[in-house]
Amino acid sequence: MPHRLGMECLDSPPQFQIGMQESTRKVTKNIGFLTVRHHELHGFFGGYLIVNELARPLEFHCTLPILPTRAQQILYGNTLNEFVCGEQIARALVTKAKTIPDALLADSLAVLTLRHMHSVPIGFIDTLQAGDSGMNRPASGRTEYRRFKALGHPMAVLPEYESDCGFFSSLFAQGKPPLDLLEPFGRIEEALQEAHPATKAA
Amino acid sequence: MYDPSSHDIQRPVIHTSWSCEPWKVDFAESTFSFEDEDGTQANVQINPDLSQYKLDSLWQAPRVLPIQLSQTLPKTIGFTFPESPQWTPPASAKESVPPSTSKPPSKDLLTVTSSDEGSDEDQVAKPRITRIRPPGDLVRLEDRLYYVLQPPLETLVQSAKLTFPFQPFPYQMEGIAFLFPRSAAILADEMGLGKTMQAITSIRMLLLSGELQNVLLVCPKPLVTNWMREFRQWAPEIPLAIIEGDSAKRNWIWTNPQAPVKIANYELMMRDHEILHEQGLHFDLVVLDEAQRIKNRNSSTSEIIRSIPRTRSWALTGTPIENSVEDLVSIFEFLSPGYLRDDMHLKSLGKATRDYILRRTKDKVLTDMPPKLFRPAELELTSDQRASYKSAEEDGIIQLSEMAESVTIHHVFELVLRLKQICNFDPVTGASAKLERLEADLEEVAASGQKAIIFSQWVETLEVLNERLAKYHPLQYHGRIPSNKRDGVIDQFKNNPKNKVILMSYGAGAVGLNLQFCHYVFLFDRWWNPAVEDQAINRAHRLGVKQPVTVTRMMSLETIEQRIHDVLEQKRDLFNTLFAETGTPQNLGLNQKEIFGLFGLNVPKYQVKAA
Repeated sequence: MPHRLGMECLDSPPQFQIGMQESTRKVTKNIGFLTVRHHELHGFFGGYLIVNELARPLEFHCTLPILPTRAQQILYGNTLNEFVCGEQIARALVTKAKTIPDALLADSLAVLTLRHMHSVPIGFIDTLQAGDSGMNRPASGRTEYRRFKALGHPMAVLPEYESDCGFFSSLFAQGKPPLDLLEPFGRIEEALQEAHPATKAA
Repeated sequence: MYDPSSHDIQRPVIHTSWSCEPWKVDFAESTFSFEDEDGTQANVQINPDLSQYKLDSLWQAPRVLPIQLSQTLPKTIGFTFPESPQWTPPASAKESVPPSTSKPPSKDLLTVTSSDEGSDEDQVAKPRITRIRPPGDLVRLEDRLYYVLQPPLETLVQSAKLTFPFQPFPYQMEGIAFLFPRSAAILADEMGLGKTMQAITSIRMLLLSGELQNVLLVCPKPLVTNWMREFRQWAPEIPLAIIEGDSAKRNWIWTNPQAPVKIANYELMMRDHEILHEQGLHFDLVVLDEAQRIKNRNSSTSEIIRSIPRTRSWALTGTPIENSVEDLVSIFEFLSPGYLRDDMHLKSLGKATRDYILRRTKDKVLTDMPPKLFRPAELELTSDQRASYKSAEEDGIIQLSEMAESVTIHHVFELVLRLKQICNFDPVTGASAKLERLEADLEEVAASGQKAIIFSQWVETLEVLNERLAKYHPLQYHGRIPSNKRDGVIDQFKNNPKNKVILMSYGAGAVGLNLQFCHYVFLFDRWWNPAVEDQAINRAHRLGVKQPVTVTRMMSLETIEQRIHDVLEQKRDLFNTLFAETGTPQNLGLNQKEIFGLFGLNVPKYQVKAA
């Protein structure tokens, strides 16, 4: 007995240059949450949820599973996860979104390389553990990060973008947002399991 | 990767599949394969035995052969939520919501706080979250993700600035999260756990989210005022329309678009169902309170209720099964016609209904709620009663036996009722073992400043008790009390310390009343159905009760009451079996055979219908 819901499926999302629409940002605080998970059999999955300041979802995007090629494994070595998570999956997700958020939060350090090709500050926030799915959080081969705390949460940014620390601190300090900064990652993980049922833990 | 510059003396030749001249092609040994998403392939073969290579020409600097990796990004699926910005309460709501002043009823109450609350920045409190999960019958991915990606209920409540008279219990939030996404649902919580509040809050949130525009709530007539009161308490900003008055007025109310929630009673639906069809009314949601009222699917009430045009259907009942699984099947005919069949195996039934029914019991969710203390009062009849009883039973059985094949279930019922009345009072002398016990107990109740509810199935019995218990200033609440005076009776019982006792019939007092200030319940006689008895008991044992509720079940030993008691216990087993999904019950209810069997009679051959 399903009923029609008012959700629009984006079959052909608009393509645009990442980070070129700074001037069109809204005044309200929209935050994008990026998750990349690795499944032993199916490879890497990405999910991207943009919520408004009331935590209501504005957009959701997820990738089809991808397996790195042998060439990528050889060429990127121990930076493979940064390449796949940040430059491939996260980049694809933020490119497809209509809404440009004020900030991006990721629960994996490997995603932070997106910052090299995206103007919106992106910070890692430690969610301590992934959900109870059969998917893991990809590790990062890099060891140097600029670490700080915001709203009591351990966070990190790429050291090349140290000014992002101040950005996040001031962003969260301004409005004391009612947003739970960790909870949306749980939603993404459940959505990934809905979209890719084969990844559900037995 | 292979690096040609590392060989100083005899430089190796690299053979590739895409460059043949002037190089020779040799795919003999180790090969690296490169493959990108766009299908480009490159094979680089390197033979570690350099001696087999020979220069075809003079020394040349090695050519650089770039391997192009595809820059194609992964494919994505995307969804937008166009209605999200609309999710805010109407301006008037924020103004009209009364401040939360009452204290929470429990220290374990859910706390709706953001994670940054608190003075210590390093301490991140982990707030409790209740997720809305998509129902099993939602198939399309975008429909399922719509619910999966909604924020937790606590966040929705907080962001919409909704206030409650007191903080809902966690299990109540779970109940709201259960109802919110469902087109078809039965909220079957045990009486007293707050089904009304959960339904109202779900309706409130769905109205605010724009998913509902108009709702019809159907309840028993005596409960209309109770629903109005609960709506005022839990959703004061929602305009209500009560279907009442003469035909012209009702016609106007039905078509009034100003009130998104309309409340009608079952009896009235019998008269007004044609208006619905004539006016072409359609409801986004129809909620049935005390949905066991449609347990007989062939009754006109059930047929009329099922014909109401609607999108969503919810049923609220503490007793989805009163007699047999057919009761549940009938309710599902309202929710999802044809989904269940009477002949389904109990385990199949349990599996099929699992996603549609939410049932919690007090012992599971309210571990800190004061308990119900059952005190069976198994009494010997007085000598007068015993003599009358013996005579009536023997005469009755002889009469039934003499009727042979012409005996009907009504004849048996008549005898049962006559015997049960003798168990209450001797018809000649008025002697009553139950009353003696009751008077003794009430002295203690009154002396401790407490109040008591006394249930009987007969108004005549209640009127006798009214005379015999006059010193406790009893009040009466039953079918002969006009409905417009009943609220006043409850108020008086609650507020006047002189009135220590209220006398209630099961029919009028079993549902919808909140008497949790009362800690003693007496079942002067037993109803046919344990579910109705439970409802009666739970008038007192419900949310907000501060002390244990003592329930005294009176039963005359070695009488028809004891035999009925045994059957009732079997019914209770049936109910527990279905919802525990374990095993199969010994007996599916009080059937015709068992009713005849109360007197050792056999069912006449021509009577095959169930009672």
